[in-house]
Amino acid sequence: MTEIASERDEATILLVDDNAQNLKVLYETLKDRGYRLLIANEGEKALALAERHQPEVVLLDIMMPGMDGYEVCQRLKANPITADGAVVFLSALDDVDAKVKGFSLGGADYISKPFQAQEVIVRVATHARVIQLERELQARNRQLENDQTRILNAISEGIYGLDTEGQIIFANPAAVAMVGLASEELVGRNFFQLHFGTPDAETDDLPALSTCREGVAEHQREVRMRRSDGSVFPAEYRSSPKLEDGQVLGAVVVFRDISSELESEKALDEARDTVATQRDQLAHASRLSTMGEMAAGFAHEVNQPLTAISNYVRVALRMVAADEIDRQLARSTLEKIEAQSHRASEIIRRIRSFVKKPATGKEVITVAALLEETRQFAEVDARTNQVAVELDVSAAVPDVLADPIQVQQVALNLIRNALEATRSAKSTEPVHVAARLVNRDFVRVEVTDSGIGLPENAEEKLFHPFFTTKQEGMGIGLALCRSLMHAQGGEIGFDRPHGGGALFYFTLPVAQVTAGQPQETIQ
Amino acid sequence: MNETTETVFVVEDDEAVRDSLELLLKSSDKGVMTYPSANVFLEDYSDDMAGCIVLDIRMPGMDGMELQRRLNEKNSILPIIFVTGHGDVPMAVDAMKQGAVDFIQKPYREEDLLKKIEEALEQDREQRKTLGQKQEITRRIGMLTPRETEIMDRMIAGQANKVIAIELDISQRTVEIHRSRVMHKMGTHSLAHLVRMVMSVKDRIDAS
Repeated sequence: MTEIASERDEATILLVDDNAQNLKVLYETLKDRGYRLLIANEGEKALALAERHQPEVVLLDIMMPGMDGYEVCQRLKANPITADGAVVFLSALDDVDAKVKGFSLGGADYISKPFQAQEVIVRVATHARVIQLERELQARNRQLENDQTRILNAISEGIYGLDTEGQIIFANPAAVAMVGLASEELVGRNFFQLHFGTPDAETDDLPALSTCREGVAEHQREVRMRRSDGSVFPAEYRSSPKLEDGQVLGAVVVFRDISSELESEKALDEARDTVATQRDQLAHASRLSTMGEMAAGFAHEVNQPLTAISNYVRVALRMVAADEIDRQLARSTLEKIEAQSHRASEIIRRIRSFVKKPATGKEVITVAALLEETRQFAEVDARTNQVAVELDVSAAVPDVLADPIQVQQVALNLIRNALEATRSAKSTEPVHVAARLVNRDFVRVEVTDSGIGLPENAEEKLFHPFFTTKQEGMGIGLALCRSLMHAQGGEIGFDRPHGGGALFYFTLPVAQVTAGQPQETIQ
Repeated sequence: MNETTETVFVVEDDEAVRDSLELLLKSSDKGVMTYPSANVFLEDYSDDMAGCIVLDIRMPGMDGMELQRRLNEKNSILPIIFVTGHGDVPMAVDAMKQGAVDFIQKPYREEDLLKKIEEALEQDREQRKTLGQKQEITRRIGMLTPRETEIMDRMIAGQANKVIAIELDISQRTVEIHRSRVMHKMGTHSLAHLVRMVMSVKDRIDAS
């Protein structure tokens, strides 16, 4: 016979006594105090109730027919389900032996008959609270343990706990799966022997060794770990020391198989290489097409020195045919011929260096020299558009590190655009090219024109492939320029100057000259 | 500038080409003046210049075509030889339509250039001679009295003295006197020559 007398989530108190009068008194004392009260008048019933309801407190009469209180207590304590309840003995036996026996059997407290109501109330309250707190704590600990286990189980990295000798004392399921041994087989094996085939005594540079021995955290990528079948996989691991009061107790090693990562990285590298190659090819194709556009101009440009040479040669021939040779004039004429032939070969050299394949790679470049060469190169377009190009390079501009051909390609592209924009706007203001140091690491080159300026939506479109404002433009130029500048580690962009027109700029990384570094500069 | 001095005016922006051309022409005993740009030449230009212009068609600032246009506005008759680079033939053709004498492509052979210059100078001399004659004819026409001019116009139209006398209501004798004065003033004895002379400046007379 049982009676449930209060809320489910309140403490449960089991009253056990063979004497109905006693039970009544206890019941009356404890009712309306927010407990759930259960009643049993003999041991077996008490045990059954306790197993079903796990009371926080059992008030247990010692002297009972059949199973006495000591035995009930013993059996309660022996059953893990009921073991944590607090047993408070009730007895008229107010002797020390009885109490000692009760405590030795796992009793929590002792109340002498006849009861004092206040005493019963206080002691029950105390024990009920203590047990409730203990149970909460345990529940929380269990929860935490479950969480930890779940995390350890769910984690895709392998996790080992090692002692100072490198013995495996813990392994999570991922480690088990990666190594190919069961968890119980892994625990107790030596980490160094198992995964690196070397006892730790032999060498000092095994992964996690210094963590186990000296408590030094480690992190390495691409170590080769063995599986149980002798096959090897590339791994990345981190090992952290387990410390207690400054003592190293071992290490926790977190590791993972990076085979597929390495493959992805390799694929990514290959893709990058492909992109770089294609960018260089596109750049080269674009240079050729630029040369195609400029061909007529170049032919004209080369014709100038050739025409001068042929005129001077004629003059020289006349002198030779004359009776008296004016040596002074002959010398100066021949010197002029020489100068003009240099001029012609210089133009051809520029063309060849511009179209030569492939890009030569990064060099230390003197900005002023490169821009001057580019300006001479653009003279063809300057003549065609009848707009001059002015160069203004600050003396403080240091050398930069970049691919000279590709930088020149970008500069030439911007200058040619600027010349065209200026002419389209029927302006005769020269195109201004300036270079200055913007901060410790970058040189900025600016090309300013006095054209009609840039459209409102330029920001979104200007550097996109196939966007062009020109009638015959492909829209490849600026998109390619941006890609080339990024390859140099620089940027490209534009501004709208207050005075109208457009300003395009690009930045180049300053060459950090270190001692002993070979210096190739473009003269 | 002395009117009898023939000069080759070289307008060329490229210093080396300009310098070498100057030396070359001087060594061929030609009078040479060089100009680094079309603007500089225009400032220097006067209509008593004799000779020809060797003009680079492509120049920064004012190009050769533009200079030709400006000279045409000034009624310049200086023959122009355009010097073109590779691929400028379409431009050269346009220049010819605008009255250029000739064009030559860089790099050229000296013989070709000199030949073209020679032809241009010859043309200039011809033009000047013709121009001189026309100016003389115009001057003489200017000396005629209104009555003499009236008579001359009818003579040129082929009217006989008798017809002229009737239409102007004067005696035939008077017509003959006027007629001999016209012939004398115009410096000819032949009616056919008189007709040619007057016709050669007809447009000028109409214009004025």
